[in-house]
Amino acid sequence: MSGARSAGRIVPGAQLDNMSATEVDFAIVGSGAGGSVAAAVLTAAGAQVAVIEEGGHYTKSDFNMQEAWAYPALYQEHGNRTTDDLAIMILQGRNVGGGTTVNWTSSFRTPAATLRLWAERHGVADLDAATLEPHFAAAEARLDIGPGNPDDVNANNRKLQDGAAKLGWRPELIRRSVKGCARLGYCGMGCPLDAKRTSRTTYLADAIVGGADVYTDCRARLIETDRGRARAVVADILDRASDRPRGRLVVHARKGVVLAGGAINTPALLLRSHAGTDSGVVGKRTFLHPTVPLVAFYEQPIEGFYGPPQSVSVHHFADRGARVGYFLETAPVHPMLGALAVPGFGDAHRRLAERLPFVQATIALLIDGHHDDDGGEVSVNADGRIRLRYPLHASLREAAVDAIGNMARLQLAAGAREVMTLHETPIVIRSEADIARVADAPFVANGHTLFSAHQMGGCPMGHDRRRSVVDTRGRHHHLENLWIVDGSVFPTSLGANPQLSIYAHARLFATAIAEATK
Amino acid sequence: MSTSRRKFIKRGLVGGGLLALAGSLPFALRTTLLGRAPRRPLRLLTLEEHAVLAAAAARLVPGDGAGPSWPSAEALDCAGKVDALLATVHPDAGRDFRRLLRLFESGLLGTFMAASPRPFTRATPAEQDARLEAWRRSRLTVMRSGYQALKRLTHAAYYSSPEVYPRVGYPGPPVVPQVPA
Repeated sequence: MSGARSAGRIVPGAQLDNMSATEVDFAIVGSGAGGSVAAAVLTAAGAQVAVIEEGGHYTKSDFNMQEAWAYPALYQEHGNRTTDDLAIMILQGRNVGGGTTVNWTSSFRTPAATLRLWAERHGVADLDAATLEPHFAAAEARLDIGPGNPDDVNANNRKLQDGAAKLGWRPELIRRSVKGCARLGYCGMGCPLDAKRTSRTTYLADAIVGGADVYTDCRARLIETDRGRARAVVADILDRASDRPRGRLVVHARKGVVLAGGAINTPALLLRSHAGTDSGVVGKRTFLHPTVPLVAFYEQPIEGFYGPPQSVSVHHFADRGARVGYFLETAPVHPMLGALAVPGFGDAHRRLAERLPFVQATIALLIDGHHDDDGGEVSVNADGRIRLRYPLHASLREAAVDAIGNMARLQLAAGAREVMTLHETPIVIRSEADIARVADAPFVANGHTLFSAHQMGGCPMGHDRRRSVVDTRGRHHHLENLWIVDGSVFPTSLGANPQLSIYAHARLFATAIAEATK
Repeated sequence: MSTSRRKFIKRGLVGGGLLALAGSLPFALRTTLLGRAPRRPLRLLTLEEHAVLAAAAARLVPGDGAGPSWPSAEALDCAGKVDALLATVHPDAGRDFRRLLRLFESGLLGTFMAASPRPFTRATPAEQDARLEAWRRSRLTVMRSGYQALKRLTHAAYYSSPEVYPRVGYPGPPVVPQVPA
């Protein structure tokens, strides 16, 4: 292949004709962590690449730090993605850069215990820490992920750190993917300084320099297959204002199709295409790290709306033996996100909203899929609408109740005046004696605030073709030139924020793709 | 109610698609009190549906005890903002939400759930609050889901408005420092 290809470009959907087509070596669906690194690796290997992105292209001057703009513009379903019963709000990126544009920068390698679980129970035989090591190292270098920085700890995270330290729960500093961070606190709305190292400013930029084109506002609708091979991706060109299809882009793929639309959209695309779904497992075992927030009120202002959203984590409860584990972090406290999390309405809700600056928000992320819980299921209806069912397994409810108790202990140890659960009938906790009441409160769908910022599974990797969708290098078991390089390949949830793991796995997989298609 | 019957209803409602029940209430919007005209052209909702949403929003945001410095849902055009947002989500989701508004307006359902026989838009504020409470605390998942849809969309429109920032002690986004490239 020639090494002197001219640079590619970002092609806004608005500039495409209603019936457009192109032909490349690889069609890549999605421009987040997985798609961008695949685009960079394959471009560097000399391949011609087109990236198809459903969302729009926004840069730092667009990021106005207003929730009213950011969530509709930058998130899936305009910020309204949820499970089908609305019990779990799903925060998931949808823009050039995907989740990396809006994530809170927390960077973890895949926990060793999770890799062991996959090897022992999920048929993932040749994917150990040593295999992944060079790919983590490369991604960490490209994303400027350094050691955790104590100066990043804002008051919201300081309380988590102090409380955990007092109780002997070993708080750790979180490594962050930033360079020149001004600690504004708006990672979730797009960094107005480009200080966050997103896929758009790193791997996708590399891919474009190497010749890749990125088509924005194009929603992959179908994969065309023929005799066991993926031939093309058919995408709807979306009108930005209405978000309705106004045309069609067909990307013919000479060598292969690479899916990186994330753990909800990728299984949905396969299901919609009736492509490679014979095993019956596509879309099943979808994991969310269901996230339980707990708010505490302090005498002094916390101002959880400012400063790096996450800088401290606590993994003390990640391994609870036979019971579902969880880890603790914080969530930023902006007016809209805060108002959505707090139950009730009218003046009762207002009295809580008025205390916003004094709120500390700790979150427990439940490590789903490591025990007897099977997670959720992605399906599509006849119109192609995505449906995500996620029943709250009893083992997760037990973990949630346990987590609420321990978060309350932590917040009280850190000096909170009072702690309030986010049940529809909140429980106010002022002492250890109050915590017992948490176990008596029903924990049911829409009876307690839950959200997810981490979507995983649905197209698990493994060697058993009956239980997995792709092999341990991302290649589809039945479509020989289709690969998946996003969080959907994880057989369980990770037990840590997934983005860096997605970069590293995608880099390993993309390297294998380049090798296999030389 | 027996467990099997409860299960049947739950499965029937949720399994048949969110709020499919609303299809059986075709006349619910005939008696809707329209209230003030929308502040902008509607993109998805009918005038009646907009009126139901606006009436619910008025109760969901801070009201009676809040004092005059808090803007009303109408002043911030919460219903219009939700309409504009819903016009961009999947058509199925928009259809579900319109069905929800029809159910919510229904005096028949109001009678059943909260002894409130009038259309929601014609009920007293106290009755409206009781109706919202009944949905919020319902034993049926689909009812709680419906309440959450109304609550979240309204609160998202309201609390993301800069006019509300001073009321919740939020100074707003900081000035972005100029850093050398």
